[in-house]
Amino acid sequence: MPETKKTILIAEDETAMLDALAGKFKKSGFNVLKAADGERAFEIAMKKKPDLVMLDILMPKKDGITTMKDIRKDKEWGADVPIVILTNLSDGESISEAAAHQVSFLVKTEWQLDEIVKLVKEKA
Amino acid sequence: MKLNKKFLIIEILFPVIILPVLLLASVDLVVVFMIMGLVLLFIFFRLLFLKSLNRRFNRLAFKIEEMAAGNVFKKIQVRSKDEVCQVVSALNDLIERLGSGVAMDVSVSRELAQAKSDFVSLASHQLRTPLSIVKWYSDYLLSGDCGELKKEQKKYIKEIFISNQRMIDLVNALLDVSRIDLRTFAIEPEPTKIVKKAEEAIKKFKKEITKKKINFEKNFEKMPVLNLDPRLILIVFENILSNAIKYTPEGGKVRFIIRKTEANVLIKVSDTGVGIKRSDRHKMFTKMFRADNAKKMSAGGTGLGLYIAKAVIERSGGKIWYESPSLDFFVEKEKDKELKSMMKKGMGTTFFITIPLKGMKRKEGTKNLESIQ
Repeated sequence: MPETKKTILIAEDETAMLDALAGKFKKSGFNVLKAADGERAFEIAMKKKPDLVMLDILMPKKDGITTMKDIRKDKEWGADVPIVILTNLSDGESISEAAAHQVSFLVKTEWQLDEIVKLVKEKA
Repeated sequence: MKLNKKFLIIEILFPVIILPVLLLASVDLVVVFMIMGLVLLFIFFRLLFLKSLNRRFNRLAFKIEEMAAGNVFKKIQVRSKDEVCQVVSALNDLIERLGSGVAMDVSVSRELAQAKSDFVSLASHQLRTPLSIVKWYSDYLLSGDCGELKKEQKKYIKEIFISNQRMIDLVNALLDVSRIDLRTFAIEPEPTKIVKKAEEAIKKFKKEITKKKINFEKNFEKMPVLNLDPRLILIVFENILSNAIKYTPEGGKVRFIIRKTEANVLIKVSDTGVGIKRSDRHKMFTKMFRADNAKKMSAGGTGLGLYIAKAVIERSGGKIWYESPSLDFFVEKEKDKELKSMMKKGMGTTFFITIPLKGMKRKEGTKNLESIQ
């Protein structure tokens, strides 16, 4: 029996980045849900309950850290879903805050797409 | 007061010695007393003069102390034209210049430096997103996910990818420099295996080492687990190794040594590369400096690596320096024909780093350094 496709929700306000990530994950066998801001990401997350959530830190309406906190408030699905934080900063405070809310791991935008997909597949 | 006493002793001794001499020489008593009187009068005026000089110097010292305490712009009165008053006038001039703008210049230039660092930090952050986008899409095309590319297309996109990567490296290095200059970077020591970090750094350059057929020699002593910031030590290793490999011609030699001394870890990276000219020695660790012979060897290079390495090492309690020509290789080449032929193209360089065995000094900060070669 073929393995069921995993669903990943990617929230990123830079369209070009969002499309590149979405395209790569689709090619690698994921179902991809897209959101361009934190609020939308939270809505989709609660409705579709994906297997994995990838959040950018700096986003309009609601930033990635707040979105993650809101998802973690959900006691069933949200408490355990792997959350990946996408960052181009080495902002110590945001990252340590992310760690406090059980972020699964950090992905840096300066990595290559293949590396990002590989890491997500390994850890998620 | 010491000076006064010395003079007084000489002046009192003078009549005491000269009087018996004059008496013995049977000179007229009147003349003797006249001379004595003159000498005493001289001593009296001299004492007066010294006392007044002393008082004036004390007053001047007091005024300078007052200035040092913060009352900078109060002038000192000048009453005559002697040497003391010349010193006072010069001091008054200095006060005037400080008040009229030199002091302001210092604070303005400090503000400018801060603004410059802030700008570099902000601009680098803003540059990261578009740079990542170019990286991802060129990578996307190269991976063949959007269909196979023609050989020529692949070649050109590879060029875009490489140049973009250079820009990413530069932006990261610039960010690090602004964090060093703004003193916001953190040093977070934790138990670290230094040899493992060295191996990690070497791994990054393996391709380059093979491509340039560099004879790479490593000699790592067994080291205890040390309290180091693992990311920072890796940045330093990468920066030093990158230079050694970049500026060593094809077929050259690079030697990487880590050993324990009494209180330090000593790291030595020697190469048979182009070397560092004496005239460049003052600029080697400064920002954005690239030596002429380095520029000839390689177009790439930000001129920031050594600045970052020095800041990291010195602010964590260690030392960094170099010697060029590399003495080790210079001595060995006399016995080693192969080495001798390698050294024909350059005099080589050895970089030395010491880190205390007790570990790096912790430094609180809000940011981490992250330049990667």
